[in-house]
Amino acid sequence: MSGATRARPVRPATVASFAVLVVLAAVYLGPLLTVVNVSLQTRQEFSLNPTAIVGQPQLTNFVTAWNKANFPLYLRNSILYTVAATSLYILTAVFVAFPIARRYVRGSGFLFSLFVVALFLPYALIPQFQLMLHLRLYNTPVGYTLLFLVDPIGIVILVNYIRSIPRELDEAAAMDGSGYVRFVMRVIFPLIRPALASVIVLHAIGIWNEYVTPLIYLTKKTYMPITRGLMVFYGQYGNDWTTLAAAILMLTLPIAALFLVLQRWIYAGVLQGSVRG
Amino acid sequence: MKNGRFFVALVLLAALPLCLFAQGKVTLELLIHQNAPLVDYINAFNEKFQKQYPDITVDVSVVKSDELATSTQTRLTANDVDIIDMFGFAQGIQPYMKNADKPNWQTLIEAGLLMDLTGQPFLKYYDPAAIRDAGSFNGKVYEVNTGRYAFTGVFYNKDLFAKYGVKVPTTWGQLVAACDTFKKNGIAPMTAGGKDGWPVLVAGYGILLAEYPDQAALVKGLWNGTIKWNDARSLDMWKKMQVLARDMIEPGASGISFDAAPGRFASGAAAMYPAGSWDAPAIETANPKMNYGYFPMPGSDKAADNKYLAGKYDVGWIVAAKTEKKDAAMKWLAFFSKPENYQAYVNATGIMPTQPTAKLNTVLGREVAPHLANFRLGYELLWVNPKGFGQWAQPNASFFKPFNQWDDARKLADQAQADLDAGLNANR
Amino acid sequence: MRHAFHFGGRGSRFVPYLLLLPGMLLYLLISLGPSLATVFYSFTDASGLIGSPTKFVGLSNYREFLFLGQNARDNAEVLVRTLEFSVLVTVIQTGLGLFVAALLNQRLAATNVFRTVFFMPVILGVTIVGLTWTLFLYPLGGPAQKVLALLGGHSEFLGGPPFQAFLWVTWVQIWANMGVTMIIFLGGLQTIPSELVEASRIDGASGWQSFRHITYPLLTPSLNTNLTLAIIGSLQAWQLLLVMKGVTNGTQVLGLIIYAIAFGRTVQNPTAVAMRQGYGAAASVVLFVLVLIIGMTAQFLMRRRERRVLG
Repeated sequence: MSGATRARPVRPATVASFAVLVVLAAVYLGPLLTVVNVSLQTRQEFSLNPTAIVGQPQLTNFVTAWNKANFPLYLRNSILYTVAATSLYILTAVFVAFPIARRYVRGSGFLFSLFVVALFLPYALIPQFQLMLHLRLYNTPVGYTLLFLVDPIGIVILVNYIRSIPRELDEAAAMDGSGYVRFVMRVIFPLIRPALASVIVLHAIGIWNEYVTPLIYLTKKTYMPITRGLMVFYGQYGNDWTTLAAAILMLTLPIAALFLVLQRWIYAGVLQGSVRG
Repeated sequence: MKNGRFFVALVLLAALPLCLFAQGKVTLELLIHQNAPLVDYINAFNEKFQKQYPDITVDVSVVKSDELATSTQTRLTANDVDIIDMFGFAQGIQPYMKNADKPNWQTLIEAGLLMDLTGQPFLKYYDPAAIRDAGSFNGKVYEVNTGRYAFTGVFYNKDLFAKYGVKVPTTWGQLVAACDTFKKNGIAPMTAGGKDGWPVLVAGYGILLAEYPDQAALVKGLWNGTIKWNDARSLDMWKKMQVLARDMIEPGASGISFDAAPGRFASGAAAMYPAGSWDAPAIETANPKMNYGYFPMPGSDKAADNKYLAGKYDVGWIVAAKTEKKDAAMKWLAFFSKPENYQAYVNATGIMPTQPTAKLNTVLGREVAPHLANFRLGYELLWVNPKGFGQWAQPNASFFKPFNQWDDARKLADQAQADLDAGLNANR
Repeated sequence: MRHAFHFGGRGSRFVPYLLLLPGMLLYLLISLGPSLATVFYSFTDASGLIGSPTKFVGLSNYREFLFLGQNARDNAEVLVRTLEFSVLVTVIQTGLGLFVAALLNQRLAATNVFRTVFFMPVILGVTIVGLTWTLFLYPLGGPAQKVLALLGGHSEFLGGPPFQAFLWVTWVQIWANMGVTMIIFLGGLQTIPSELVEASRIDGASGWQSFRHITYPLLTPSLNTNLTLAIIGSLQAWQLLLVMKGVTNGTQVLGLIIYAIAFGRTVQNPTAVAMRQGYGAAASVVLFVLVLIIGMTAQFLMRRRERRVLG
């Protein structure tokens, strides 16, 4: 046995690990720093040497980008769609997951399997499009939100988690005279918080990151979320990297800030989902 | 438990913005493609129009030209748009073509989504041949075409040419020599908007035209098998396209977007810019003092073959058949077509007019005038792919390195023909 | 089989059904229904335009997509590329995620900072990530070009030969999503009692040995989750490709082709191409079969290993 005492000097393995992490962090920060640098350059500086660090940073690009597109609007839309769709979804999802998990409805097993197979179903893009056309919901915020009111994976996660909650709670509450709705809202919701957190986070990230759905369904700029809004801006001003970089940064900063505030929940959510899912 | 109330509040909050989207008077939805001079003109024109008709508002959406076909079809079928800019009807199926996909304007007409404009009063301002060739189907008019552009020419920097004693090349050999001169002096011979793919394709069209001046015959010959992509003439074309892509266009061009290229040319970074004549206003905007010209791409070794210009019918207006604002749409088209407004449009976009009374009195107009008599429709407007054809059966200069994977013209020629044969044979 | 329902009186037996209905109906209407409808659609020549004459064409869409002329080769290329994408993303993303999680699990300084940096792209989204990297790979003197020039090379990066561009986009996909993999592994690592590892180290095992024989087997649930997410996800992920490369030959995967066919965006005919939603539906079914085969095989293999390793 070597070195029985656990000394606290820095081991070479630790230094090496830290060095690797620093290099990786550089790989992760590098592209973003490029954006920062370019956003502070003038067009001439950029066409001469895009990588040169700015000598005199200037903020005109931000003003230009702000004036040319309504980024706060896009950000607001992303938040609204995500929040609205996720909240409505959660509300309906718990009332689907709970009776299935408890077998309070006939055919629970069959219904559950309908959700389990969802991962392996054919791509629904085309009939969904036809559906939206026929429902006259094309290019409407309501229609767009509608597309995100379902998430079968979430149901599976919730059902699995609810099954771990003792059935005696139900019986006890019923005997105390509690109604079904009351019980679910007051007792089940708080108890499944970890699973809820994970479903909320996974679902929200999915909606937040959608690019193709707004590409197909939203043609009015005022309805667009950031994913689409930024690409539309890129289509019109793609030749102007300095302005574009400023636009990218203007969207990155609030998102990063939001993330830093919510990160603990986000990590917890991703984690919980993985354990049960 | 606060959850319930919290959720309800969130839902209500989410519903709020829906109320913000209420409309008052008539709003015409217009869809156009991204082309800076076009977008600028349309915005200015709409202000004039809205002053003239205060109860109509025009809302313009702009998409990149490779998204235009998609937006057009999805928005038309959803009845989400009123007037759309669609390129002149092209790629119509000829009688000798079997098992080819219909072009989108035909499926749109057959679905009853395009409004029949036959007999509208504003049509009288336009050249009947243009209306017939670019906007009609089965005897009815569906599109009002606004003009043509050439796309087999090359913009050139007159000052740089003078500085290095280079004359306008009239043969391929002279062009190659000119490029060498510029390279020796540290000037990029050519630039192109390589990022978006199609600019390099268009850059090569001049070579195709020089090889096959009768583009309609080329299309028919390919379908019949009398012309092949790997016969002697085609091979010559492929070799020249390779020189264009590999040696003439500057390295790094794949980072230049189609609407950044005119600016790059105007800044003097490159001596030449093979592109469509629609870029002329953008060049002038980028550098108003620029001394530029436009010559047909000398794709042939014989000067006599290099006098032609091929091009396309470009922006044309189609109207949604199911629109509820037909009256407003007709007013818009009529106002657009008024000769004084149309002339302003021509001046702003550099388009070759389809109204006989309008004149292209710009630098570009003067450069192009000598070749106008030899103007013909380009291959891309006539060619239809047989089903089952392979991806390499296109006369596309951007197939060559550095833009793609090919660096042997002979091999690409053989592959192109094989890909075409696959489609032709599958359908016999 | 139903369980006894105790809530409320006799009349409230139907309450759970009633409240189940909205969620269930939404799922059937928006997800399950359309998925099944895709199969029916694939047997028609529907254009997708309302009002287009549509007729039943049996298997001819499949014949066209899989066997007609050069389509057989071109679409097979797309299928292969989809698989390449999936394999590269799955293997590298999972490996990298595990590596980073293992590093971070050592409780070095600034763990939180690193974690944030690595997870940020997941939150920033496909457009911001795609455009950021497009700028980074700018061929006219961008940072990547400068680095390459130091080594004496030149590349058009995203604008060059398609396979090269495809590899770049694959890398960005991995870069962007590694954060999720890392978090899941971190969670898994934290469930492994450190006493086990320490005991093995005291017994003389090297870092690598204790990892391989103790940590790695115990990570099987996290590994399986990550693999499942990566495999299924990458088979169907193409948004980043659309943002960074668009619809161009040589870089498409099956999901992108389906979109291009269904919505009238192909390379061959950029301006006059018609929407072909019946044909696109057939391509969707092909993708479905691919996902089914690969997904089920992967699941089977993972379950078998899980049983073997964890007993």
